[in-house]
Amino acid sequence: MKEAIERLQQAMADKGYVTDRATATAAYLAVTLRKPLLIEGPPGVGKTDVAKVLSRVLDTELIRLQCYEGLDVSTSLYEWNYPKQLLHIKLGETSGQSVAHREAEIFSESFLLERPLLRAIRATRQVVLLIDEVDRSDEEFEAFLLEVLSEHQVTIPEIGTVRAAVEPCVVLTSNRTRELSEALRRRCLYLWIDYPTLEKELAIVRARVPGIDVQLADQLTGFIQGIRRQRLVKMPGVAETLDWAHALVALHAESVNDGVAMETLGCFLKDQADVRRVRTEIETHGTAALVAAGRDAR
Amino acid sequence: MTGEPLAFVTSFSRALRDRGLNVTPGTSIDAVRALAAVDIGDRRDVYFALRSLFATRLQDLAVFDAMFDEWWDTARPARRETGAERTKQSANPPIVAPWDEPKASTTSSFLTRWAASLAEAEDDATVPMAAPSTREATGVKDFRHYDDDDLHGLEDAAARIVKRLRSRRSRRWRIARRGPRLDARRIVRLALATGGDPIRLARRERKLRRTKLVVVCDVSGSMDLYSRFLLQVLYTLQHAFARVETFAFSTRLVRITDALTGDTYREALDTLARVEGGGWSGGTKIGESLESLRVGWPRLFDRRTAVIVLSDGWDTGDPEILGAALREIRRRAGRLIWLNPLLGNPSYEPLTRGMQAALPHVDVFAPAHDLASIERLAMHLSF
Repeated sequence: MKEAIERLQQAMADKGYVTDRATATAAYLAVTLRKPLLIEGPPGVGKTDVAKVLSRVLDTELIRLQCYEGLDVSTSLYEWNYPKQLLHIKLGETSGQSVAHREAEIFSESFLLERPLLRAIRATRQVVLLIDEVDRSDEEFEAFLLEVLSEHQVTIPEIGTVRAAVEPCVVLTSNRTRELSEALRRRCLYLWIDYPTLEKELAIVRARVPGIDVQLADQLTGFIQGIRRQRLVKMPGVAETLDWAHALVALHAESVNDGVAMETLGCFLKDQADVRRVRTEIETHGTAALVAAGRDAR
Repeated sequence: MTGEPLAFVTSFSRALRDRGLNVTPGTSIDAVRALAAVDIGDRRDVYFALRSLFATRLQDLAVFDAMFDEWWDTARPARRETGAERTKQSANPPIVAPWDEPKASTTSSFLTRWAASLAEAEDDATVPMAAPSTREATGVKDFRHYDDDDLHGLEDAAARIVKRLRSRRSRRWRIARRGPRLDARRIVRLALATGGDPIRLARRERKLRRTKLVVVCDVSGSMDLYSRFLLQVLYTLQHAFARVETFAFSTRLVRITDALTGDTYREALDTLARVEGGGWSGGTKIGESLESLRVGWPRLFDRRTAVIVLSDGWDTGDPEILGAALREIRRRAGRLIWLNPLLGNPSYEPLTRGMQAALPHVDVFAPAHDLASIERLAMHLSF
């Protein structure tokens, strides 16, 4: 049993997602207990990637539902194919069938357009359903989601209840722009992913940017860890670290020195105030000091 | 871990629940299942597995960590009992019924005074006031300097707030005869009758967002000069807007929604004076009052509810009770707004113990000492 978690962690690493024991355990339980996994954490720490890599490890389809305010049934669950319905009515006009019969016809299975939730429920083998940024949807949708997650079934008024043949493996992510309901939380396993440690981030960089010089990877990770200790408006996430690493490799930079850092700040700082701040920091203390601070972080 | 997983999970669940974590029997069952799926000899595995089940919020992690450390090695029954007893007390402080401790009322009831004369209240020198204002432009004039003529401005402000609450539109749709958008599903249905030609159109519009207001107004002595005008705002709100519930408190909480429905403000004040039943006094028990609001009217709050607390935060009660009550209210309500008239004073800092306990749970902390600040309130009600 213990090996199962280890194997999962290794399998995730093989697919390019370096993770820790906490994440691997949570993912393992999500699959074995068939409970949805709710992942929270700051932006850019790879919450969404958990679902992606899980689908690759399970060798199954990833179905993604991106949430936003006003997300409703017709964009998340199903919609009718209206042009097809109208054409069908026209073609069957002379068939002499009753209106009730024709109505039942056009509101049937073959005129249904599947949206992510319905697709996940009707899948014939287990899929990974990613409900991304669930905090952006409104409470009404959250309540509806709760029903789907707990019953594994949905009701379409014209057709009836559709029950999942295979329960999907559900991953929800949230950036905590609003507090999710207690009911939803209770239904889920919970995982908080924070910014990675120096070691973990270094491992991620080396896994995702193959061919990067060991020294360079070490320096740039230290630098990022160093500036995360500054009070920034927008903290650089792992995604930004990787962007920067790719940029440095493309520029054939051999090390992170003041000049290189100044030129490429835009790769990982997305706020003018942060750029000014880090610039001043480099001018007064130098990149080496920031790298050192990042290495001392633990 | 020693002993049976089931016994461990059962008592551990209970201890966590006592510490305020959201633990249900379902969680415990899942925890037992989870322990069957990991190596229960491995502390790390058990820790991560149980954490993902029991800690459902970021704030829970610290509590869980502390409890897990304590429990992993020493899950002995004797210790468990005392531990649970102790934590139970700190997490759920007993609710002190404010009316159980009669207080010598040094301040006469302000409501009685208002109802009788609507007289200007005298200054209380020991209580800090919002910025003294000599400017006469309405909007920046401090409520302390208001006279009855200025009340019209307040009514207008309240009316604008009501309008704002009414006209908010949700992102959801509903059927409407003259809606701005077409409703494809119904058009297809209608087209059945016309041979597939969409001749009759169906429309839809955005649903109205039904925001509710719960207002809790501090009417203790230190708020005297302000509550008079704030109550005027509440009266107007109550009149123009059906979904408002209003409460007043000093040392105990009283629902005054019905009292505020009088035909005139004077009438409402008369009713209020009768409502009080001798319960008002000079002291302030914000925490206990909010706790009795939460316990006494549990169905009042949902995600569409904005809760507004009007108080200067001079609390003679236990700040812990205040913090706990606010945390619970915040959890259920859509937005928690604390309006403090003293915030109008630039040198004021919310250092009182009550304010310190309250601030972590409050979404909006704003002044309420002049007309402009009341109008800004409308902005916070769009959520």
